[in-house]
Amino acid sequence: MRFPVYKYGLFFRLVEETDAAFILDLRTNKNLARHLTSTDDDLQKQVEWIREYKTREKSQKEYYFLFEDENHQPSGVVRLYDINDDTYTSGSWLAKPGSDEFLSIKSDLFISDFAAEELKGKKCVFDVRKKNKKVLRYHKMFSTVIGEDDLNYYFTIDEENALRKYNFLKSII
Amino acid sequence: MDIEKFISELADQYDDIDTSGFTSETLFKENEEWSSMTALSIIAMVDDSYSVRLTGDDIRKSQTIQDIYNIVFSKSTV
Repeated sequence: MRFPVYKYGLFFRLVEETDAAFILDLRTNKNLARHLTSTDDDLQKQVEWIREYKTREKSQKEYYFLFEDENHQPSGVVRLYDINDDTYTSGSWLAKPGSDEFLSIKSDLFISDFAAEELKGKKCVFDVRKKNKKVLRYHKMFSTVIGEDDLNYYFTIDEENALRKYNFLKSII
Repeated sequence: MDIEKFISELADQYDDIDTSGFTSETLFKENEEWSSMTALSIIAMVDDSYSVRLTGDDIRKSQTIQDIYNIVFSKSTV
């Protein structure tokens, strides 16, 4: 897939070091990032994290996307990681406060498009914090719980349900 | 369709705020918990309980619970 990609009224591209301040703002926003792994409020560390990520991107182990609105203003991020022979994980979704209500749906659709094109035959496995009730309800509509621990539920989604989810989301936007 | 039942079902989609004062005139997007996930929860609840598919535009143009109820009612075949 060639970037930037324009889909669902958004521009999607891969994260660069110059996005560090935007990402740090999102990840250190207590409201937004309360269900994500905590991040140090340190710009240099974020730059270094992205630099290391770019090597994982080069070896096709991870993709960190930033999506922009029609005016090319950054709106949010989403990530595909732990990509191996059979599975991959999707997560780290964050969007700027006050963004369109349906950004999460649009970015989820993009992730499905990207996975269908670039990660053919791999199954999506992911975890959701037990306290993240709304996101849990959303994933339980389409995905199967395959495990749990004190902190998380672990999910996977098969091809049939992935298509059902894709069609449901497309009918909304 | 019963508006009181609908208000209760919609209120159930909120996990963090006090919804005991929700009425048909409540501005359901004007609170700190509102997000795309709340919108999606409401769409899923309506799909499940009323077999009605709301769209993003339905949510965007609704302000009060009565507004969204009216849309569901107009699309409902029950």
